[in-house]
Amino acid sequence: MIAAGLSYGMLSTRRRARELILPIITTATGAFLLVQVLSLAGSVRRQAASLGNGTEIYRAIVLISVVVLLVGVVEVAVCTTRTVTQRTREIGVLGATGVRRAPVVAALLVEPLVAALVGALVGSAVAVAGGFVLSATGVSSTSPDVAGTVVGVALAVGVSVVASLLTSAMPTWRAASRPPIRSLSSGG
Amino acid sequence: MNHATMSPVDAAVSGTSGPPGEQDTRDAEQQAAVSVMPAGSTGARLLRFAMANIARRPERFLLSVAGIALAMMAVIVVRTISVGFASSGSASLATVLDGAPLWVVPADGVHYDPSVAMLVADGSPPALQVPAGWHAHRIVNGIWASPGGKLALFGVVGAADGRAVLGSAAARALGTSAGRTITIGGHVLTVSISGTGKVVSVPGAVATSVVGTHGWWTVTPSSADRGRNDLGSLLAAASGLPWTPDPAQHPAAAGRGLIYDTTGTSNGLTFTQRFSALFSGQVTSSALGLVSTVGLVLGFVIAVSSFLASVQERRREFGIMSSIGLADEVLYFFLVESAIVFLAAYLAGALAAGVAVALVVPGLATLGGWLQAAGMVAAYLPAMAIIGALVPVHRLLQQRPVSLLTGSS
Repeated sequence: MIAAGLSYGMLSTRRRARELILPIITTATGAFLLVQVLSLAGSVRRQAASLGNGTEIYRAIVLISVVVLLVGVVEVAVCTTRTVTQRTREIGVLGATGVRRAPVVAALLVEPLVAALVGALVGSAVAVAGGFVLSATGVSSTSPDVAGTVVGVALAVGVSVVASLLTSAMPTWRAASRPPIRSLSSGG
Repeated sequence: MNHATMSPVDAAVSGTSGPPGEQDTRDAEQQAAVSVMPAGSTGARLLRFAMANIARRPERFLLSVAGIALAMMAVIVVRTISVGFASSGSASLATVLDGAPLWVVPADGVHYDPSVAMLVADGSPPALQVPAGWHAHRIVNGIWASPGGKLALFGVVGAADGRAVLGSAAARALGTSAGRTITIGGHVLTVSISGTGKVVSVPGAVATSVVGTHGWWTVTPSSADRGRNDLGSLLAAASGLPWTPDPAQHPAAAGRGLIYDTTGTSNGLTFTQRFSALFSGQVTSSALGLVSTVGLVLGFVIAVSSFLASVQERRREFGIMSSIGLADEVLYFFLVESAIVFLAAYLAGALAAGVAVALVVPGLATLGGWLQAAGMVAAYLPAMAIIGALVPVHRLLQQRPVSLLTGSS
């Protein structure tokens, strides 16, 4: 049943791909910064050290990058609230035909999941490509730190997927919990 | 002006207001007359209307507040750090000048050493001629690798022998206290404590034996010249060195040195203020500043996108409003809603930033710095809230009432 919900969600996500452009861009921006900071850890660390309190400042830079990524991911959840409102009637139809709550929630969570994943991957890819271009053209003196890049990409993908699911859970759960008759008779 | 002339009428109206049941229809009518209503009651109604809309979509409100709050938190954390740097910059300058209005640095310049939180000379000071009656203090300065870690060593040439004045942090590092003795460069000195920094002040000869001849001059004018505002040019004329009131200017590498006149103000800022601004500028223009600014832009995007979503969902409602002649008034609805969102986000973000700074960078966390940073970010709030409200209203006003009413969604 959950699998059916997921494939239904996949279909509707493909149909509504245009709605996902803004959340993908904001998530990608956050992921780009995080991966960039971690892959250029060497020069960022040096800059932090020149300000004094090097370790503390570096920690603050990484934390602030994660916070900015979270800001980008919140847009995914805002987009989910929009989706849920637009699809109130559809959710009502699903409920009226006997689909249980779990598959409906699963179907609705596909969209934020895809948006966060694509956003994080696009942002990471741009950051990695940008790092290599910078070091190849000699603009940046330090070559990207491979271990840092891997950690950055993992962190970006992990944080955005988990955060998008957590923040989208509440609106989708509420929408799927409404009595079908109310969803069907609402104006939207 | 309108409000003042309306207030007696308003008093009469509220005196005759009917039972609570009639109040709702009255509200709706008076809503239409927003522009001629007295400020107090209109504000309350707008607030109630905005709260009702927020209550309709609580998740979206919470999400946009959370997004903007995170962004504000990032900015406030960075600002707090930069304020911390600015204050360490001005504290180090105050220690260096020690009340003297003029500071003569070597051609190699000076730099700030974060490990001792103090300014350190990069060369030997130039030979200096001062006008008659003025006092010049030759200060030897450098980093002393003491048994307790790095400390900033100051040597005042001509100071009394046998004494060392330690900042409390330096005393802790050396594990000593007032009245005891320490040995620096083979000299035994009696300790006294003054100030808080990682600073050790000793006689010039002792300092020279440890850190060499690097240093600078501080110059105090004669009592007759004190209070003049051309001290820099007077000293420049006597010594043949260039002078500047601008802390951002560095001495020419090929020259002999540079005189900083710290008495003047420029654009209402004192020398110390401009000097510490150089420090905070380093933070805001670093990776920290860039990342947090991008975060603020993303937070703003979230606000606008959630307002646009509510415009889309309330098309019919706005269609009814504009068909009964409410057009510009729609702006007020959004302004109030946007103000609530940004204010809530700001409060949450400022509190979170205070906690984050205290946990992550305790070395730089000060209550004053946090308050100053929160104040700086508060200055952006009105602009963000107003622009955030203007975007959806612009979108609405582009459409005819009919198309809003008949629109599919």
